[in-house]
Amino acid sequence: MTKVNQPLLEVRNLSVGFSDGAHSLALQHVGFSLKKGEILGIVGETGAGKSLLARAIIDMLPGDGRIVEGEILVNGHAISKMTAEQRRGYRGGEVALIGTNAKSLLDPVVNVGEQIARILRAHRGINNKDAWREAIRLFEQVGIVDPHRRAHAYPHELSGGMAQRVVIAMALIAQPKILLADDATLGLDATIQLQVLDLLVEKCRELGLAVVLITHDLGIVASYCDRVGIMKSGRLLELETIRSFLNDGPKHPYSQELLDAARVRPLPMGYDQAQNGSQAPPLLEVIDLVKTFHVEGSSEPVRAVDHVSLTIRKGETLALVGESGSGKTTTGQCIVRLLQSDSGSIRFDGTETLSLPDRQFRDVRRRMQMVFQEPYVALNPRWRVRDLVAEPLKLGERLTRAEKQTRVMELLDLVGIASVKADAYPHELTAGEQKRVGVARALAIRPDFVIFDEPTTALDIRVRAQIIDLVRDLQKRMGLSALFITHDLNSVRSLAHYVAVMRHGKIIEQGPTEEIFANPKQAYTRKLLDAELPIEARAEASTPILQTEQQL
Amino acid sequence: MKQVSGKRRVCGNTALIIGLALLAMQVVAIVFAPWIAPYSPETADPINALQQPSSSHLFGTDVSGMDIFSRVVFATRINLLISVTAVAIAFVIGVPIGLAIGYYKGWLGSLAMRLFDFIQSFPVFVLGMVLVSVMGQEIWNVAIVLAVLFTPVFARLIRAEVLSLRDRPFIAAARCSGATDRTIMFQHILPNALTPAIVQISISIGMAILLTAGLSFVGAGVRMPTPEWGLMVSNGAQQMILGIWWVALFPGLAIVFSVLTFALLGDAAKQMFDPQTRSTS
Amino acid sequence: MRLSISLRSLPRPLRIVLARLTILVPQMFGVLLATFLLIRLLPGDPALLMLGNMATPEQILSLRERLGLNGSIWSQFTSYLSTVVHGDLGTSMFTSNPVVVDLLDRVPATLELITYTMILTITVSVTLAVVAVTKPKGVIARFSKVYGLAAGAVPDFWVGLLLIYFLFNVAGIAPAPFGRLDPTLSAPPVVTGFLTIDTLLAGDTAAFASAVGRLCLPVITLVIVNAGALMKMTQMVFADNYRSEFVRHARASGLCEWQLVRIALRNSLPPIITMAGFLFGFLLGAAVLVETIFAWGGLGQYAVSAVMNSDYPALQGFVLVAAAFILIVYTVVDVLYGIADPRIQV
Repeated sequence: MTKVNQPLLEVRNLSVGFSDGAHSLALQHVGFSLKKGEILGIVGETGAGKSLLARAIIDMLPGDGRIVEGEILVNGHAISKMTAEQRRGYRGGEVALIGTNAKSLLDPVVNVGEQIARILRAHRGINNKDAWREAIRLFEQVGIVDPHRRAHAYPHELSGGMAQRVVIAMALIAQPKILLADDATLGLDATIQLQVLDLLVEKCRELGLAVVLITHDLGIVASYCDRVGIMKSGRLLELETIRSFLNDGPKHPYSQELLDAARVRPLPMGYDQAQNGSQAPPLLEVIDLVKTFHVEGSSEPVRAVDHVSLTIRKGETLALVGESGSGKTTTGQCIVRLLQSDSGSIRFDGTETLSLPDRQFRDVRRRMQMVFQEPYVALNPRWRVRDLVAEPLKLGERLTRAEKQTRVMELLDLVGIASVKADAYPHELTAGEQKRVGVARALAIRPDFVIFDEPTTALDIRVRAQIIDLVRDLQKRMGLSALFITHDLNSVRSLAHYVAVMRHGKIIEQGPTEEIFANPKQAYTRKLLDAELPIEARAEASTPILQTEQQL
Repeated sequence: MKQVSGKRRVCGNTALIIGLALLAMQVVAIVFAPWIAPYSPETADPINALQQPSSSHLFGTDVSGMDIFSRVVFATRINLLISVTAVAIAFVIGVPIGLAIGYYKGWLGSLAMRLFDFIQSFPVFVLGMVLVSVMGQEIWNVAIVLAVLFTPVFARLIRAEVLSLRDRPFIAAARCSGATDRTIMFQHILPNALTPAIVQISISIGMAILLTAGLSFVGAGVRMPTPEWGLMVSNGAQQMILGIWWVALFPGLAIVFSVLTFALLGDAAKQMFDPQTRSTS
Repeated sequence: MRLSISLRSLPRPLRIVLARLTILVPQMFGVLLATFLLIRLLPGDPALLMLGNMATPEQILSLRERLGLNGSIWSQFTSYLSTVVHGDLGTSMFTSNPVVVDLLDRVPATLELITYTMILTITVSVTLAVVAVTKPKGVIARFSKVYGLAAGAVPDFWVGLLLIYFLFNVAGIAPAPFGRLDPTLSAPPVVTGFLTIDTLLAGDTAAFASAVGRLCLPVITLVIVNAGALMKMTQMVFADNYRSEFVRHARASGLCEWQLVRIALRNSLPPIITMAGFLFGFLLGAAVLVETIFAWGGLGQYAVSAVMNSDYPALQGFVLVAAAFILIVYTVVDVLYGIADPRIQV
């Protein structure tokens, strides 16, 4: 038995470097310790070294990375002093890692039961049958229904949430004492993320595991962790209990910056709305839109968009929210006619667009633009920023070369991209800049209406905040009308006047943003709202005394 | 990280430099063959048959007394002419076909793919042999047959790229920005789809050289007395068993160097394009 | 409806085989049509091609009659089809034997050559690839790089000749490059057609040794030339899998090195199967060259003589056999691929 006060995991002054010439260290003097049953959240943006820290702890540094300085101790034993065989037993046996995108972590050609059983066999000399029994028992514990049947399934037959449960079972099977979760729920739908995190944390508390929860989402940390560490460029800037971090405020300015960026902005006030704009004629009117897809191997067509109706007036922003597969992006693509709709009506400024021939639809395109979801893949990799931004100008009146040039520079300035980047290729830009180029393209011909498809997804905290502020600024300055497609409820509050909730191709509820958030009528809407992990709410919940004080 | 990419670039450069040097040698051989070769490549000299390599006959002489060195030099013209022409035709025909059937999916495209499947499922060599023999053993027929055999390779490569590109968001984004089908095909898709086909040019030329030589070797290609590497190896095949090595050795080496040239250039091209394609995906 | 339900209850491998076999029949028909058209639609009158320029019009006419070339394309095809179905591929102009007899005589020689080459090629290339990936700084890794580049550049017929020169002429280790068996030995009774097996069945060790010895040089020639491509491809696929997230995750879960290699190899299997199948077909072409050098007396040599002598029925018969062979190989490949990759829908 180890002593009670001895930390389970201790990282002492850890520095990691790569031998291939990078002068700065990838991790610099990181130090922390973790007790049994404690959950530590590590937060940082891309490139902060969070994943590298996890890889160092589990003794699997990538490439020729190596520990330059410092030590990692587990139960008082330094990993560096272990033999190769001990290290193998240590991985999975003492420390387990759960990574991002569970499906890619599973061997695609072996059924999941066997994948778990073989880990157990590698750690304990037990026979195949016992290992399988153990695997199925654990499947049941991680909430997999019908575990006997599911154990024979292959990874491609599982949903994302189910695959994540299997990975959790994989991590727990050899009964490790420390769990590293590296962005384990990235890319999952909010309701699924909530279920998975609840399960993970509950299991770890139950088994008394020490957990390092690596994430870029402060909401997750606020909701589940005991302590929080903020990382930036390989350094651990700050390590606090979650209570003092949220209530007393972070000590490091960078942490404060992150926290501010993650907070919700006040509701946007378009001028129309302020003047009771519901009298204004609708700019976009969608009535009973239907779009079906034929899936191979099934005779039943899938109704991706099922009698959707919505209205957007000038200067208004409507947010279309829902989980993946709910049909929100399809709706957007039908409106800009990237997809042919089956039936219904789409009226833009009084003109019925569904029946317009392609040539005449060009006039509509000039006034209706779209900002695409993934910033990088939506830009032709072989075009320069200059040409990318200039492309939509073809839709407008003929411009001379010089006029075009000025317009491009104006646009880059408008979205906040330095003019020196005009000759860069997309892969030379950061994700935030790529997104801005996408916005600049959409605004190039001064449209009246823009569809933003997931503008804040997969961005770092501060970049996400910058994009939100940019869109808010555009709303205010240009009186832009917008359809805002997203699953990020936090950004909806900062950007949209109205919300429509979509599920299985149908809009199940819509109304003013404040009203929907404060008083959802549908159970599904409530479930979506509950799955949000805002920083503020949990901070209040975990400190009941403060909560009452605030209410007073 | 910077070091790694630097290393890769140097690696690509050595392959490129060696490849270009070998290519330059061949170009010199092609252009200056009459000045380099000491003897006429097609004149028999039975008195001097099967001479060992010496100062007067650098690579020796073959069974009819022709100077092997001269024939090897002149053969560069024939072999590269056939191979480059064949691949050029295949590229020029295959790329537009691939672009069209990839962009407009339809029954015509499926039909073309079935036809390509059939051509490609056959062993190239067997098909080449049959086709050349039926069409007649002329230099140009060999080139045309090889072009027919290689066209599906290019069409397929381009089609695969186009298929993966046409559903990419940047194409949808371009369409939203008012791009027409033509702009999308030629300005957005084609430049992004061309890389593997360009790498393939080099690889295909190498294969064409091997095939030409093989066809001539079994007697289904170019005929005597035209100087052609495969034919020359074939002339030396019987002597090899008797220990007369030089007749087959030198033209064989010429084939190896020539094919290696294009393999190296292909590798270099792949590496040059690689960083970009990698960050694209 | 009921049929599809009962089909679904069958075990998956069986379902794959059934699904693949049902499309084999139309494919076979397609091959017959294509081989027929291939020879018919090419420029040149086959009768003229066969008889040469010296033929009199009467000769040509009677041959056209005999070959059934005077009807419409469709009637020609149906008559061709019915003769093929009855196992009649015509009579070789050169050997004067029925083409079917000639082909059956020669198929085992080529098949034996190709089969041993395949086994050895796969073993060599997969081993090299796995070692090169798992030990990226080792000697094998460096060797595989040079070999991968060089192997594709060397003509097989030239390698065969060099081997003959060095191993037969200079070193005297290898047997003479004439045929599959020492002419002083008598061939064993035909059971499988594979001399290495038939000699063992007959208990004739001397003939067995000779057959193995004679196989060595042609097989080595083909392996040297063809293992490079398979190795390069295997290396690429295996490296992708070996560095994949799921292998990294398996390592993080405490599995040991040989298990990781096994997982990566198992995942590389589908593309390796495809490539090996393609190679199997390709070897049929490569065998033409190698058989010529080693006087092997197989299909390849038969095809060359058919081409040389404008032996039209023999050529058509050969093309048909080659196509059927490839079709069978691809069918087997599809079945194995489906079994190796559970993601394939049946």
